[in-house]
Amino acid sequence: MVTPDMTTTVAGIEFKNPVLTASGTFGYGLEFTDFLDLDRLGGLVTKGLSAAPRKGNPPARVVETPAGMLNAIGLQNIGVPSFLADKLPKLREYDTKVIANVFGATEAAYVEACRMLDGAEGLAGIELNVSCPNTEEGGMIFGVDPAALGHVTRLCRKETKLPLIVKLSPNVTDIRLMARCARDAGADALSLVNTFVGMAIDVERRRPVLANVCGGLSGPAIRPLAVWLTWQVRQAVEIPIIGIGGIMSARDVVEFLLAGASAVQVGTASFVTPSASADIVTELSNWLSERNIASVRELIGGLEVPPRG
Amino acid sequence: MTGAYASTAAQEFLQRAILPKIMILDKTVAVVSNEALGNGNFLLTFAEPEMAAEMVPGQFFMIGMPGSGILLRRPFSVCGLPGTFENDSSGILQVLYKVMGQGTGVLAGLGDGAPLTVLGPLGNGFTLPQPGVTPVFVAGGIGSAPFPALTKACSTPPVMLYGARSAGDLPLLDWFRSHCGETLVATEDGSVGEKGLVTAPLLRWMEGRDPATYALIACGPDPMLRAIRNIAVPAGIRCQLSLEAHMACGFGVCIGCVVPTHGEDGEVDYTRICVDGPVLPAEKLAW
Ligand SMILES: Cc1cc2nc3c(=O)[nH]c(=O)nc-3n(C[C@H](O)[C@H](O)[C@H](O)COP(=O)(O)OP(=O)(O)OC[C@H]3O[C@@H](n4cnc5c(N)ncnc54)[C@H](O)[C@@H]3O)c2cc1C
Ligand SMILES: Cc1cc2nc3c(=O)[nH]c(=O)nc-3n(C[C@H](O)[C@H](O)[C@H](O)COP(=O)(O)O)c2cc1C
Ligand code: FES
Repeated sequence: MVTPDMTTTVAGIEFKNPVLTASGTFGYGLEFTDFLDLDRLGGLVTKGLSAAPRKGNPPARVVETPAGMLNAIGLQNIGVPSFLADKLPKLREYDTKVIANVFGATEAAYVEACRMLDGAEGLAGIELNVSCPNTEEGGMIFGVDPAALGHVTRLCRKETKLPLIVKLSPNVTDIRLMARCARDAGADALSLVNTFVGMAIDVERRRPVLANVCGGLSGPAIRPLAVWLTWQVRQAVEIPIIGIGGIMSARDVVEFLLAGASAVQVGTASFVTPSASADIVTELSNWLSERNIASVRELIGGLEVPPRG
Repeated sequence: MTGAYASTAAQEFLQRAILPKIMILDKTVAVVSNEALGNGNFLLTFAEPEMAAEMVPGQFFMIGMPGSGILLRRPFSVCGLPGTFENDSSGILQVLYKVMGQGTGVLAGLGDGAPLTVLGPLGNGFTLPQPGVTPVFVAGGIGSAPFPALTKACSTPPVMLYGARSAGDLPLLDWFRSHCGETLVATEDGSVGEKGLVTAPLLRWMEGRDPATYALIACGPDPMLRAIRNIAVPAGIRCQLSLEAHMACGFGVCIGCVVPTHGEDGEVDYTRICVDGPVLPAEKLAW
């Protein structure tokens, strides 16, 4: 059996393996050291950071739904300055790529957050969250309006020399259009998807379960939707894609790779099993060995669509 | 801060908060027993010696049911620690739960030997009242779950005030009657104990007593906890509340499980009860 080459490159960042953790599901990374060795991960993406701290939405904020969950956290976070002072120095002790997920209420706020992060030692890249469905100021407008997306991406591009990944919203009519806008504005890579807007109702009380009324749907329920969007974006743009949505196992990772993703992010699975991301790395390596696949990169975009007829 | 007792409670709380952090374990265990206690209440038993050795009353587990189709784990307080219900039970842990919906419904159907994934110990436990201070427990229905383990940990026999809708909603009532100093019961339909809410016997018990001699510890539905807070805080009575919130992770990363608290800036903060609770001093709550 071969020991497979797990390395992959996205936006110029060389990852030791294609498994990253998704923003908002892995805290600031350090919360997971009881459960796994962060060195095992290709990379980790922080909770969405804004220039100033935010308090978020009132409860209830999360609820389980069929094969998934809805969340409306409201982007509660410690702010970029605390991240730089308290979290990043500790993360530097680990051999994994740290990506800061960033959002803002206004273009100016996005720009400010990117400027503060630019040049930070130990930061491998910035992921722009233009797609949070849960706050009026969460940047959703930037995720659904092609002109606004292009504009904010261009402004952030100017602010930082770090690799820039734009995280796309699935809550659009044509994601290919958004992908092209982000690429034209200077995105080095795209990550997709963020959560789908959804709603759950407490039928006895006749009230929405979440205080925010709606929330973002994540988990296995969204995986087929996310795989399809990955495949569509793969055909629209040539820049690398990070696939996200309902990944629970190595098999699910392979699905995204075949659809055209160069790496993936594990989200909700880390709530179910805190060690899920590292477990998936091991499982993926075994999956490749068992099939005598020498490099994980062989899978990227490897989907074969039989001719119809 | 509201008076000397409240600040004492806050100090005790801080002292405990700086204890060394204990590792969170994620284990797969087998159901030892899952005993129906009537009216949808169950006592679940499993063995996990390492966790049992670290856990303190008031802490909780996230329990998953692999292969059940339920995605997220569910939070449950530790009800029984080694020695709570039996003396020679090394590594035995108990959870007292009530069927409320899908997850607890699946749990109730599990037989002996069924696998569970258990994450723990999670959260902060209760601050034990000083020797000589009478612990006064106030439980609403299934809110009695954390009190058996706590009863055994207290150096002074506690007073148990147990309220519920009806007789069937008072699981382990006989156990409390034989292990607490005094057990006072109130049911809304009057089927056991006095008719009405548990706050009535509580207020009577408190009458004429020096607040320095006892401390309140409450767990139950939010409206009950609010009522207790409204009694305790203005009177400067030490009071801890064990809170509930919807949780996704149980260890601080989803930021789902918040309750409103009084922030240092005078505004409302959202505090994660899985790491900063589930036990909080009553005066912290900004309900
Ligand atoms: C720290 C803590 C300790 C707890 N200890 C106990 C205990 O010892 N015994 C016991 O019976 N119950 C306890 N609960 C409540 C228990 O977790 C819920 O009753 C259970 O999650 C309901 O799940 P379900 O799928 O059956 O209900 P459903 O209503 O089908 O659940 C739907 C969703 O809402 C969430 N949810 C619904 N009600 C609650 C609630 N009250 N608290 C938290 N999440 C809720 C569920 O987790 C799930 O995500 C505790 C809760 C917390 C936060
Ligand atoms: C509780 C929660 C919080 C999240 N917070 C963020 C966030 O701050 N920024 C962001 O870009 N995405 C956030 N997401 C979206 C995830 O990063 C991911 O895109 C989504 O959950 C889909 O992946 P999954 O199905 O594997 O969870 C959050 C998701 C959840 C469940
Ligand atoms: S349950 Fe996830 S932060 Fe508390």
